[in-house]
Amino acid sequence: MSYDKCVRCGSCLQFCPMFDATGEEQFSPRGKAYLLQVMDQIEDDKELAKEFRRLLFECSLCGRCEETCSSGVDLLKVWHEQRAKAIETHPEEFAYLEPLKDALANVKNIYGLAAEDRAIYWLDELEDDIPGLADRVYEKGKTTENIIFLGCLMSFRGSQIDVLRSLFQTLEKLEIDYLVMGAEENCCGHPLYLMGNEKGAQELREHNKKVIKAAGAKRVISCCPGCLIQLREHHNLEGVETLHHTQFFDRLLDETKKHDQKEEFSYHDPCELHRILKIKTEPRSLIRKMGIEFKEMDLSCCGGGGLLRMTDPNLSDKIIQLRVAREGVKNTTVITACPSCREQLLGQDLKTKDIVELLSETLDGGAN
Amino acid sequence: MKLRDVVIGANASIYYKLNFKKIKGVYYPRVEQDVLAAIAHAQQNGLTVTPKGGGSGLSGACTGGNDERIMISTLQMKEILSVSKDQGYIDVQPGITPDKINEFLTPMGLRFFVAPSSRDVATVGGVLSTDGGGNDTWINGTMRDNTIRVKMILYDGRSLTVDSKGVKSNDLGLEENLNKKGMTIHDVANSHGTLGFITELRLLIRPTVKEALMGGLTEFPDCNVLGKALQNMIEKKIKINYGEAITEAHPDVREDLKPPLHVIEFPVELESEVREIVDFRRLDSKELARMKDVRVKLPKRNPKVGIQVALFEDYGFYDTSLIKLQDGIDTINALLIEHGMTPFAKYGHGPSKWYSGDNSPTYGLILHSREIKPEGKQSQDVYDTVLAIVDICDELKVTPKPEHKWPFSDEVKKKRLEEIRAVIGRGFNPFLLSPECNDILGSMV
Repeated sequence: MSYDKCVRCGSCLQFCPMFDATGEEQFSPRGKAYLLQVMDQIEDDKELAKEFRRLLFECSLCGRCEETCSSGVDLLKVWHEQRAKAIETHPEEFAYLEPLKDALANVKNIYGLAAEDRAIYWLDELEDDIPGLADRVYEKGKTTENIIFLGCLMSFRGSQIDVLRSLFQTLEKLEIDYLVMGAEENCCGHPLYLMGNEKGAQELREHNKKVIKAAGAKRVISCCPGCLIQLREHHNLEGVETLHHTQFFDRLLDETKKHDQKEEFSYHDPCELHRILKIKTEPRSLIRKMGIEFKEMDLSCCGGGGLLRMTDPNLSDKIIQLRVAREGVKNTTVITACPSCREQLLGQDLKTKDIVELLSETLDGGAN
Repeated sequence: MKLRDVVIGANASIYYKLNFKKIKGVYYPRVEQDVLAAIAHAQQNGLTVTPKGGGSGLSGACTGGNDERIMISTLQMKEILSVSKDQGYIDVQPGITPDKINEFLTPMGLRFFVAPSSRDVATVGGVLSTDGGGNDTWINGTMRDNTIRVKMILYDGRSLTVDSKGVKSNDLGLEENLNKKGMTIHDVANSHGTLGFITELRLLIRPTVKEALMGGLTEFPDCNVLGKALQNMIEKKIKINYGEAITEAHPDVREDLKPPLHVIEFPVELESEVREIVDFRRLDSKELARMKDVRVKLPKRNPKVGIQVALFEDYGFYDTSLIKLQDGIDTINALLIEHGMTPFAKYGHGPSKWYSGDNSPTYGLILHSREIKPEGKQSQDVYDTVLAIVDICDELKVTPKPEHKWPFSDEVKKKRLEEIRAVIGRGFNPFLLSPECNDILGSMV
């Protein structure tokens, strides 16, 4: 077992946001790996075993522990496997996840809203600003070079509408051939993947794969790193490139106008983007092409990943609150490139902008 | 029992299979009052107390053995309390790491010069309790050389301040008794949590001097030649700022290195003096940084097949044993193999310094060791190997140092600790000094 390789050196403690927020070892990667190493001594104690299963879901799966580990323990894989085992063997302890699973099984989105409404809310909001947007929604028979995979958060959450507006306006301005998957989009499967439910995730992916193939797309573009993990690593999209929107625009634009910067910016790099997908260069390159000066925030988690908002919202809040207090970003606008991180930042009343919002502003009239 | 009572056992030593039912409370204090409350609870309930820092040590002292006990972690006592640039000290809580202290001091052009390879996680309270050092101990000393004073809480709740001259306490009788015994910071160093709970340390800090340094790599035909070179450096008192030897490393982790080798960094003006001893190849800053990185990661890297363990952290080679380094290593490896262990890597600080149980300094090579975890070995068999290593160290005149002087085999240190405990009480970590210590440790492998 991989966790046996953990030498319990403790180097992961200083980076783990759970340990940082709670201050107790059981929340740390070393603590959890240790519990697995001594499980034979404690598993007969039903309460301890139950507490351990709950603990597995008190983690944002940011991957920093694995990145730090010099002993080569693939910790993310360990956490995934253990989560799957916990839910499989003790489903009654995870009843609170059932509505999410039901929603994904029935209407293929995390909110339990009608599947056909995926392209309703934002279309209503944006159609006046972006004429012809309705024609950009995929239907059977339509083909395109670039297909946009919005994901559940961006399809249904009003807090994401500014990002969507900027995304579509930018695509239009740059005369990109694109379609949005719209009502034909299923959840990417990431929430189920985070629960270790591979079978359920696979069912969702199969449909997406068919739609992407039918649209003849050469590339799939997503603003959501979680969705991109699924599209890139788990959809088996042969011959189709999968790109984060920052990658797409950075590759497309050798240079841009300069952004008319009137505020102080910080950049929060989403964990799933830089640590798991290893997309580090393009977001920064794009920001720099716009001539934006920004302060790098610590490369740590916002507390919004790994289903933590569902499994322990208080812990999730504490993580972002600690960061806000520590990093002095209250008076800056926090740039990010992930809808989930955006929600966390907005939850702390921080001003935040996705990189594509800055790009749209720049193309609109930034300084030359 | 809760998981927090179990997980407190997480530590880097081979002694990690604790009897969790004996842990009657786990505390993460933030201030002295919290510590006092935890200790009072222990005293009222007849429990012993085990302090724990980062858990990166390899002696097993932070486990607390098998006593009915409370465990007090310092991980939340990590504040910097004050700093005096003029007087050259920083006051800190015990749970802060050397890295965090230096992160704070660097912008001021200051530094705390104790750098164990586990400096990212080892706490200063823990480093003093093991009298740790790092790759620059040769010029900067061990933790005791860099600790001006400590404040401690004893088992009965009384407090002490201990420095290099003696003890101060609000309890004048206690102060007098301990000063009669000659208690100083030397006694706290390497005491492995057997005296009390350290609540505050005043540490020596110094300006970072910008000096032109040169990096070098020397490969040796065998370790005896390496040992002689180190002995030469020690005798000539050459200022080696960074000195790390790798005497052997498994192919899975040694990259392109060819041990035995010695990586050094020293002031440029000493080049000719160093060349008189070793014919080194110059390393540019990038190569040197890579070497340092490989070295720091060696204690954590695993072979492709199997898992590394540290049966016995340190061998202190000095004088004759240093000159006959290869012979000593061969003897130790033969013993390991005889006991069914596979030597995995040996590497460490040299020239370096450590203190014996009588507080006299010794200079030589501190060699860390790692083995591949044997399959199917009973824990007592593994521990018997450790004890056999201690015996062979005695024959070879090598200081047995699983974590910078092992009190379990250092009779002088043990006697001294007992003398002091006769005055201050025996409630802290008593298993280490009990006759059953070996059996208890053996049961936790």
